[in-house]
Amino acid sequence: MKKRAITLTINGEEYSLNVPVHHTLLQVLRDHLNLTDVKYGCGRGECGACTVLLDVGKGKRKPILACIALAATMDGKSITTAAGLSKDGTLHPVQKAFVDESAIQCGFCTPGMVLKSVSILEKNSKPTEEEIRFGLEGNICRCTGYAKIVTAVQAASKKMAAGKR
Amino acid sequence: MAESVIGKRIPKVDSREKVTGQAVYAGDMRMPGMYYGKVVRCWEHAHAKVKKLDFSAALKVPGVVKIIGPDDVTKKPYNTTVMKLLVPEIFGEVFGEIADLNIFNRVVKHQGDAICGVIARTEEAAERAAAKIKVTYEPLPVYMTVEASKAEGKKKNGYLFTPLKPGNLAFDLPESFFPGKRYGWNDKDGKTAEQLFSKCDYIIEDTFYVPKQKQCQMENHSYVAHYDERNRLNIWTSTQMPKPVQVLIAELFELPLTRVRLTQTTVGGGFGVRLGMIGEPHACAMAMAVPGHPVRMEFLREEDWVASETRYPGHIWLKMGFKKDGTPVAVDAMYSARKGGYYTHGSGPPFCAAAFLHGMYKWQALGMQTEGYFTNEVPTGAYRGYGNPQITFAAEQMITKMCNELGLDEIEWRKKWHKSIGDETWLKGVTFASDGLNDCLDVAAKEFGWYEKKKKYAKQTGVKRRGIGLAVMQHTSGAFPMLLEHSVCTAKLNEDCTVELIQQISDLGTGGHTVITQMAAETLGFPMEDIHLKSGDSDMCGFDIGAHASRTIYCAGPATIEACESVKKQLLERAAQLLEANVADLEMKDKIISVKGNPQKSISAVKIAKEGVYNYIDAATGKTIGIPGQIQGYSSFFAKHCSPPYGACMSEVEVDIETGEVKVLNLVNGHDIGKAIHPPSVEGQLEGGAQQGLGFVLTEEYAYDSKGRVLNNDFTDYKMLGPSDMPKAKIILVETAPDPIGPMGVKSCGESALMGPIGSVANAVYDAIGIQIKEAPITPEKVLKAIKEQGLRK
Ligand code: FES
Ligand code: FES
Repeated sequence: MKKRAITLTINGEEYSLNVPVHHTLLQVLRDHLNLTDVKYGCGRGECGACTVLLDVGKGKRKPILACIALAATMDGKSITTAAGLSKDGTLHPVQKAFVDESAIQCGFCTPGMVLKSVSILEKNSKPTEEEIRFGLEGNICRCTGYAKIVTAVQAASKKMAAGKR
Repeated sequence: MAESVIGKRIPKVDSREKVTGQAVYAGDMRMPGMYYGKVVRCWEHAHAKVKKLDFSAALKVPGVVKIIGPDDVTKKPYNTTVMKLLVPEIFGEVFGEIADLNIFNRVVKHQGDAICGVIARTEEAAERAAAKIKVTYEPLPVYMTVEASKAEGKKKNGYLFTPLKPGNLAFDLPESFFPGKRYGWNDKDGKTAEQLFSKCDYIIEDTFYVPKQKQCQMENHSYVAHYDERNRLNIWTSTQMPKPVQVLIAELFELPLTRVRLTQTTVGGGFGVRLGMIGEPHACAMAMAVPGHPVRMEFLREEDWVASETRYPGHIWLKMGFKKDGTPVAVDAMYSARKGGYYTHGSGPPFCAAAFLHGMYKWQALGMQTEGYFTNEVPTGAYRGYGNPQITFAAEQMITKMCNELGLDEIEWRKKWHKSIGDETWLKGVTFASDGLNDCLDVAAKEFGWYEKKKKYAKQTGVKRRGIGLAVMQHTSGAFPMLLEHSVCTAKLNEDCTVELIQQISDLGTGGHTVITQMAAETLGFPMEDIHLKSGDSDMCGFDIGAHASRTIYCAGPATIEACESVKKQLLERAAQLLEANVADLEMKDKIISVKGNPQKSISAVKIAKEGVYNYIDAATGKTIGIPGQIQGYSSFFAKHCSPPYGACMSEVEVDIETGEVKVLNLVNGHDIGKAIHPPSVEGQLEGGAQQGLGFVLTEEYAYDSKGRVLNNDFTDYKMLGPSDMPKAKIILVETAPDPIGPMGVKSCGESALMGPIGSVANAVYDAIGIQIKEAPITPEKVLKAIKEQGLRK
């Protein structure tokens, strides 16, 4: 089994890993590191359950799908997962809005959904409802009908604009 | 007193762990010494005999521990469903329930049937070995329709799916219980529906098709099973029905319940798919093959499509007769379903379709037949609504058409002719105790602007045509008296006067844990934070049927309330003794128990709780301090009603007559909840259910190739409505008709959410183009074909 040594920063912590070259980022997170807040929903880039945020420099992050990213190509990269969004027990405003708006049912889509929502708001702090809905495409939720998720993103946008955390 | 939490928009008790990703689903379990199991399934055929199984190459894959086939596991056939535990044995016999599935099979009856299992030290090794197992198949002809299966079953020496079911007829209604094999009843003079048609002024008859829909819960089925050093079989699963599944596992492996421990992990959606066993038998069989090692088994998404059950597809024929003023007289119906490869729920959902047809309007006579033939498809089972979405799709279109043709206002007709207090519900002998449908219709019509829109869209021309549609529904809260509805709760008072609720509550994301905690807090007058619900472990929890039939709050809530009332009563009794007062004169507020009107005469409940546990001896007097004994409340509750909720849904669509595309623009759903304990959860059920209902009516259905293999076993080709496809949905919780039987006035909401959107969208399409599309899902192809064949309304 061919392996490659990589350094990967996850939620601010640096990991030195020796990963089989054919393993996905999702396998490495869930199976090698037990970081099970990143979910397996389909394994082929169709559901968004495995969404993580990738640092793209200059304080910018973009969502990627861990199930179709090869871990070996992630050397030197830095990612954030849902567990890393909250700091010292304080939820990220988007997480807080999901809780406050009851935008969570079974919770399986939630980590990916929250990260996707963060990425929407980081790109555009005042998205319209339509922009939120299109922005969330690719992340499937079978429980909520998306209504309360959209409301939560709107609420978070307002809170973040008001600078409250 | 702690402020009441009933009806409050508080955060759910489990939301924080879910939003940070810390909730543990079965697939997140990792244990020391854990192995990985993989079921080898038949992907190439939907019907075949296994001629030869060759493990030799697979056994050479590094990391493989063991491979087990049909001869290495119990040969006892089983049925996935828990249904047999919910009814007396005699019912199962009368209905013809059978066990026709094996853990590993020598005959493949549908794509995805399990052949053998690989256990390895890593998941990857298990997968590699699985790919190296050589299975030699002898393909058999596939039967994918009722007609094909029936024709083969009729032949002399024709192929039978099981010798237990002659003619491949998986089920129909038993003559001994249902004269004429019909569910329903005759009119007061004993005339059948068929006989009454001659007295009708207006008769309408049609056949509808309902789709094979998949639940698509986001969490894949995952299990960890462990046969431990005490010879106990442990299983962690996200089943909806923990207790009954524990019993089925014990039966299958012939173990006493003391040796089977089932732990329900966080459930990543259910919607009926987890209403019985899915991968539990395979996971357990593999664990028993490697005692001492936990075995983790996780389905791939594509496996879910072929190895867990679906909605019952088929044709529904309806014939309805009315007087010219719209008086409903008779309805005759037939639901002919494709069963899939195994018996599973048998006549369950089609029978319930008949029951919900019965429960809706005041027909003088009604008869509905149901039948299901085996096909080489993924078996059908439970899916949210359990027959009701199917019958609503058909029946509500018929009612609207009748109103149009007789020139009646369809809202007023439904107000007048739906069943109400004192009328029989979906099951004979049980009558409605509350009815909020008229209010649902009124608030929905107002919010939606029904009459304004009706006028506005009356004469549609052009490429994009708008239409509006209405559908009403009634459902159930638990399945009493048809099924057993039993829940047990123990409320343990801790020494600090907080409460541990020990109760199996299956929360599929529905909010059950939150609502049960609210109910306990309300009953005791304690703050929510002082209640902790301990659920999920069969070693600890008493009996509970599980999450089915929208029952949790309605059937399990009373157990919680009774157990908490008992705790409160015991506290008051002790206080009465200590204060030398009468229980009736006492009140408890903020955990202080005092004599009404004399607050000085009081004692703290915290003290009573503490002294009950730490009942020390006073050195000075030699007597104990306080009253001994830890206080516990207990309830073993059997529901005695099913308080059906009503709902009225209105939809607005735009149909593109050139592309056939149907876009839902707007949806208003008024739901007769009785009392919403946690309003956001109720809304969430209705909002989420709308997404599944719209999927049923517009986009979702299995597609097969000519060999019976699923063509769309993924989220790209099986189209569910996404965030940008979902219309604006306004959910209105109608609380004007609290139920006198439901706990705190509650009626159910879980399954109710699908029917309204399904029927109303179908009717809105009819309104927009003047053509009824009788096959769901209403795809652009079907719309265009119908326009071409029937022509647009002028
Ligand atoms: S698991 Fe990665 S997109 Fe579904
Ligand atoms: S909350 Fe269950 S899938 Fe989104």
